[in-house]
Amino acid sequence: MADTTHTTDTAPDTDRPGEESIGVRARKPLGPVFWAAVTFLSLLLFAAVFADLLPLKDPSQSFRGMSKNGPSLSHWFGNDNNGRDIFSRVIYGAQVSLLISAVGTTLALTLGGLIGLASGYFRGKVDQYVTSFLNATLVIPGLILFIALILFLDPSVRYRIPVLIFSFVLLSIAPISRVVRAATLTWAERDFVLAARTMGARSGRIMFREVLPNVAPSLISYSLIVMAQLIVVEGAVAFLGLSVPPPTPTWGDMINKGRNSLEVAAHISLMPALMMFLTVLSLNFIGDKLQERFDTRESVL
Amino acid sequence: MIRDNIARTVVVLLVAVLAYGWFGRPPVSWTFGLVVLVGCLGAFLTDARYAARRLAAVIPILVLVSFIVFALMNSLPGDPAINILGPSATPDAVAQVRAELGLDEPFFARYGGWLGDAVVGDLGTSVQRREAIAVGMSKAMTPTLQLAFYSFVLALVLALPLGVLSAYRQGRMADRVSNYTMLGFLAAPNFVLAVVLVLFFSVGGISVFGFDVGWKILPAARYVPLGDDWFLHFKHMLLPAIALAMPQAAVFMRLLRSDMILTLRLPFIDLARSKGVATSRILWRHALRPSSFTLLTVVGLTLGALLGGTLIIEAIFTLPGVGNYIFQGVGQRDYIAVQGGVLVISALFITLLTMSDFLYLALDPRLRSERD
Repeated sequence: MADTTHTTDTAPDTDRPGEESIGVRARKPLGPVFWAAVTFLSLLLFAAVFADLLPLKDPSQSFRGMSKNGPSLSHWFGNDNNGRDIFSRVIYGAQVSLLISAVGTTLALTLGGLIGLASGYFRGKVDQYVTSFLNATLVIPGLILFIALILFLDPSVRYRIPVLIFSFVLLSIAPISRVVRAATLTWAERDFVLAARTMGARSGRIMFREVLPNVAPSLISYSLIVMAQLIVVEGAVAFLGLSVPPPTPTWGDMINKGRNSLEVAAHISLMPALMMFLTVLSLNFIGDKLQERFDTRESVL
Repeated sequence: MIRDNIARTVVVLLVAVLAYGWFGRPPVSWTFGLVVLVGCLGAFLTDARYAARRLAAVIPILVLVSFIVFALMNSLPGDPAINILGPSATPDAVAQVRAELGLDEPFFARYGGWLGDAVVGDLGTSVQRREAIAVGMSKAMTPTLQLAFYSFVLALVLALPLGVLSAYRQGRMADRVSNYTMLGFLAAPNFVLAVVLVLFFSVGGISVFGFDVGWKILPAARYVPLGDDWFLHFKHMLLPAIALAMPQAAVFMRLLRSDMILTLRLPFIDLARSKGVATSRILWRHALRPSSFTLLTVVGLTLGALLGGTLIIEAIFTLPGVGNYIFQGVGQRDYIAVQGGVLVISALFITLLTMSDFLYLALDPRLRSERD
């Protein structure tokens, strides 16, 4: 087959003309900002996972007389309206954000990926129905449906974390499987797939052993961007007071509660806001860099 | 040719309708209805087949959305009659209210009745607000649509020059600065940006080593209708619009930049350059149009993000829009109002999306079916 046309089709916006074929280009170093982002995320992840073992202050303990105190040596990020230590609350808040976003992203990618892979590989009638259904669900405004789902599935706020994850997975299957389907389409017609088919390989084997490894690199970088989006969505829901209920700290809730004392103690809102910003920025940045590295077209969100 | 003229007429008519909505100040729902009417009319005249197909796809989606909304709100626990009367109500009173609300009928009968009423604009009456929901919603739609419109315009006004500049100066300082700034804004969720903007522009900012960084120049809350005082109106809308616009501007700018970089490598640009066409003319007149198709398709979809974003931004800046209406409904367990609000905003979004598709049809002749 005309493999050269394919290559130019799938070649991303190569920033340098004349180097459009895949694999010839010398690898650009990832740069210090990339490694700074990786370090930040690893530290955050480590702190969140081992929060109980680290010498952190109790996130729900009110330190008397320290209400709204600014950052100090004993309380690195200062104290909130109730005198609680913001640093440890931010770390414990990261637990919620990271747990929900990591589990949600994994599930959404698995399900959306399977649907996208199947509909991109088999094409035909199935593909038509799946795509038109997915396009239909894309039209419903996400945040509104998300809130409606949470309110409906969990009115008594007992199973907030699973419900948040479930609602997110439900809403992100459509965009994810669209991306996977588009990526599958560019690989499913290649010569090596044809070769595998002539050798008598079954569809399942071709999909998972021939197509998936080629689609996977761009999926990994895409998954980081999905994860960043999920952190934002969880933050928004928490900001509105609909995420995990109060004794557990969440970034969105901390930002919201701090708004009342913005004039006198801005750090109460700013610290969790900064954390969320840095986390999302790092995830986006790493995703972007990996996408450049893996040579796939920038996904259009 | 004829179809091009129709397309042009439709665009002019749309502008006229928007101008009427702006200066004549009819209820927003009228303006919106007129926009839809003109859009459909234009689409049918330009390409009836496409328009019919698009509309045929939209109607089932609208029905599906309405069904989801109704089913969700009706399976909420708690008896609406008890919600209205309070926990100490007598069984007789509860039974009477249930009968009045038609709650004893089967599910599909209730859904059909509700949908039928909704189609003719009757969304029921909110007991808590003592007001028809359609009336409350048409009041609430004004700030929401205004906010979405302002931030949309702001995002485009920022993204177009920045995207063009950074594609032209690709890899240089200007490109890197604007690219990294926009990457930053992409990572700032709109509610975080809103809080930071309020901090620096309306409560006076923070003090860094004794220096006060920030101002108290812009209001952080309240809504002033456009008709009361346009200057105050824009002053109050500026911060919410910026908070909503910046992440969108980042998306637009990055899309335009990457498409434009590809366009600038095409031979016709070299030709124009060798003819001695001025750089600004090459960028704005030759390269921008063919580079903006991805942007245009994404612009339609971002309307959803904008409408979703207005909900949260309204809550922060206490604008009496649809978002506040819905959240108040949630707070007061006024589920009829929530149901109506969610239905209206979903329908609004779907309609706007269809209208933007129709607009592309007018703008981009390649989309029309092959038949002339």
